[in-house]
Amino acid sequence: MRDPEGKLPSPRPTHLVEAVLLVSANPIGSSDLRSATGLSEQEMERALAALQERYAPETSGIVLREVAGGYLLSTNPACSGAVERFRKEARPTPLSGAANEVLACALYLGPLTRAAVSRVRGVNSDAVVRSLIERGLLIEVGSDRDAPGSPALLGVTDEFLAATGASSQKDFPPVDSLVAQEELERVRERLASSGPIPPDAGSEPS
Amino acid sequence: MTLEPLGRSLSDFTVELDVYSGPYEWLLALILKDELEIFEVPLRELVESYLLARQPDATNGLERDTDFAGSAAALVLLKSRTLSPAIDADTEGLEDEPLSPEELAERLTDYLKIRRAAEHLRDRFASNAGHYPSAHTIPPKQGRLGIKPDRVTLAARQAFSRLIEPPVRHLGPITVTLQELAGIIRTALAGGPISYESLTSDMDRMRTAVAFAAALSLAQEGNLMLAQAEPLGPLTLEPSG
Repeated sequence: MRDPEGKLPSPRPTHLVEAVLLVSANPIGSSDLRSATGLSEQEMERALAALQERYAPETSGIVLREVAGGYLLSTNPACSGAVERFRKEARPTPLSGAANEVLACALYLGPLTRAAVSRVRGVNSDAVVRSLIERGLLIEVGSDRDAPGSPALLGVTDEFLAATGASSQKDFPPVDSLVAQEELERVRERLASSGPIPPDAGSEPS
Repeated sequence: MTLEPLGRSLSDFTVELDVYSGPYEWLLALILKDELEIFEVPLRELVESYLLARQPDATNGLERDTDFAGSAAALVLLKSRTLSPAIDADTEGLEDEPLSPEELAERLTDYLKIRRAAEHLRDRFASNAGHYPSAHTIPPKQGRLGIKPDRVTLAARQAFSRLIEPPVRHLGPITVTLQELAGIIRTALAGGPISYESLTSDMDRMRTAVAFAAALSLAQEGNLMLAQAEPLGPLTLEPSG
């Protein structure tokens, strides 16, 4: 709506943030948002709060997510069927158990090398790592300069954080809290009652 | 790794897995072409699918069972090879030592935690599936790309550094030239055809090799002809024309 002089009214802070978020396929951090819109921190917070309300899953086909250290407009999962039909794309197949284990290694024990991942899992994980790198969920974040050959260190990506709905790695529960103490005790008791065991006896079943 | 070609007895067997849905034969083809990772294929589910679809009373029932057993066994072998622990030269000897129950308990405890964490991740992936972001992607502009200085340094070093010259101190001085050997060959050919073996009978290895190179060079220039009745047989140098 133009004013009587034919000029467009100045956009409100909410509009500016909304416009920038709309054209980004990746999460945008607060500082980048402020830089693009020229808003103050307070204005930005108010604008984001307003947008969170406007794009709530209960009231909109678009939702505002706070993931991977930034903000991202995405379609509402409730509408995913229509989106997939329109894009003629099937939803990506769920990751295998092996792939989730490798990601868990990188998330909780990383950055770590491929060999370290294989050591924890008891099986060669190179193929799984390759597949996860191709899917953009895992990335080489550096190299272990103390190890022979300086093998690459693996870590999780922002895409992984976005796919798991996490704002950062701190959003995940501590790994110790995911296993019941009784379960760990049972493992120790069963093994304590047995003798020395060959190194390949504890390998994970495929 | 090869799978024996099926006799098409399983052409009507289709499978429904999380990672693949369609004819079993295509599944094998995708695995062999590395378009589907074998570790993603749950073999137990595959076998259960076959058992449900099994047709023991069919005329080719035995052939189907045999073909499936053969291909499934190959898949098991392929998967086991893919998942075999990598051999670490530094720890190979140590790994031969039996693990104490305490060490094994430690390993299993660590693995159990990762396994539970993986289950947690699976649930998080599932609960966050179906979010599609904007399809609008902005192409990166020059000068705004994320550049890591250490990677640029490494790339520049690789691009501009010269390979280290190999040491040549162990090589003796050059005592023979192609021209010299060519002259010897021309002189020998004046008396008619001569075998390469007799030409080089009193030469050392270096001179023998250079004599061969000189003979090839002269043959290319049309100054002599090389005759060899059979591959690797005696070589004869003949005057041209």
